[in-house]
Amino acid sequence: MIPEVPAVLAELAGLAAKNADPAVPPAERASDLMLSALLLALAAETWDRQAHVLVEENRAVRALLGESGEDADLRLSALTAENRRLRARLIERHAEAEAAGDTAACEAIWAELAASTERRKISSGPV
Amino acid sequence: MTHSLEERLAAYIARKMPEARGISVSGLERISGGASRETYRFRLAWDGGERPLILRRDPPASLIETERRVEFAAYRAFHGSAVPVPEMLWLEEEDDALDHPFFIAEELTGHQASPQVLLSGLYDAVLPRVAERKWTILGEIAKADPVALGLTEVMPPPALDACWRRELDHWEALIDRDAVEPMPVTRAAIRWLRANPPPPAQKLAVVHGDYRTGNFLFDEAGDIHGVLDWEMAHLGDPLEDLGWSLQPVWCFGREGMAGGLVPPEQAIAAWERASGLKADPAALHWWTLFNCVKGQGIWVGSAKAFISGGNRSPIMVYPAWWLINAQDRAMLKLMGRL
Repeated sequence: MIPEVPAVLAELAGLAAKNADPAVPPAERASDLMLSALLLALAAETWDRQAHVLVEENRAVRALLGESGEDADLRLSALTAENRRLRARLIERHAEAEAAGDTAACEAIWAELAASTERRKISSGPV
Repeated sequence: MTHSLEERLAAYIARKMPEARGISVSGLERISGGASRETYRFRLAWDGGERPLILRRDPPASLIETERRVEFAAYRAFHGSAVPVPEMLWLEEEDDALDHPFFIAEELTGHQASPQVLLSGLYDAVLPRVAERKWTILGEIAKADPVALGLTEVMPPPALDACWRRELDHWEALIDRDAVEPMPVTRAAIRWLRANPPPPAQKLAVVHGDYRTGNFLFDEAGDIHGVLDWEMAHLGDPLEDLGWSLQPVWCFGREGMAGGLVPPEQAIAAWERASGLKADPAALHWWTLFNCVKGQGIWVGSAKAFISGGNRSPIMVYPAWWLINAQDRAMLKLMGRL
């Protein structure tokens, strides 16, 4: 997810401290608390699965691109950087396949895009 | 507690109402939401009168970068027409008075805007009425003559066959600028949109730009008393607004229901009756998919504003976290891939 979770949690920590001041207008405090609650719930939902999602996705995209290799560094920052590299290449490959009329390649990429979107699904999302 | 803006706001209004005496501002409080403008309500009083008002002030960095002058003009153009909007009072484009540009408008009191409230079950009996009003009003916006309204003075008019390209170029450029991560579904949708352009617009229309459930004020009888959030208003193809209103993310989880309210066919029929225009299914599909791309442009823009430090408010994070995946899902469904 962007912005990345640690940066958002740090901001929410500051916001919670700010709202500990009794002088904060109640309507502003209520708005801050509601938004903070929604964001914390979203962060909680993605926390446990995020590394798994990225490893699985990176593996699938490498296969589509004909690349070998595995993720050795399992920190989220490293997995995310590799994921961005691979998905940028996937966009290029998809456009090339469309231009070449390579239906089989297009269908395989579409299948991965659908699977990727399912992996990243937010349970409270509107669609 | 007195809000720090109250005295400065009173001083500003006193300059705008030189004939009034005893001007005071009280009860200023920020209204939740409002990722593109800071929105406050307050009560203005003077000797012999008082009035509830709204202050809309630019934040340091916005979810949507727009000219408040255009938004102000759009509200003014429709005030007193079949399109209900609050009265605009003063526009200030300089930073001196309240640190950022702002405008002040009438507050339409006693109504709700929240989609969560509207779709909570309490209003189920009047949802068809809300929907009829919602798309009838949108049809009235589509029917309006932007030249007669004076809006061509502040909004550049595109050629009828250039509406789609101007909008797609604009939003693709914003995605190019703001996207932090590669967006393969969005990029595939953009390629499809460019390869399959819609027909020229039936007419040059005022496009509200963010006409959705949540951006109008409703009551318990299902009537609509104000259309809000005109900050993305521009001139273009009337199907653009209809496509945004039918964008799947605005069903708020009520799949298959336009705006979470009624089946799309009912919404389209109400719009066609009011506008006198036709919603060609293929063209409307193009504009609905386009509006998914536009949505991604807004969500990644809000994320970028947070990441760059321009605006660290949590309201800038929520659209990105809640909607980017949903927007991808919407695009895949519209393209028959999910």
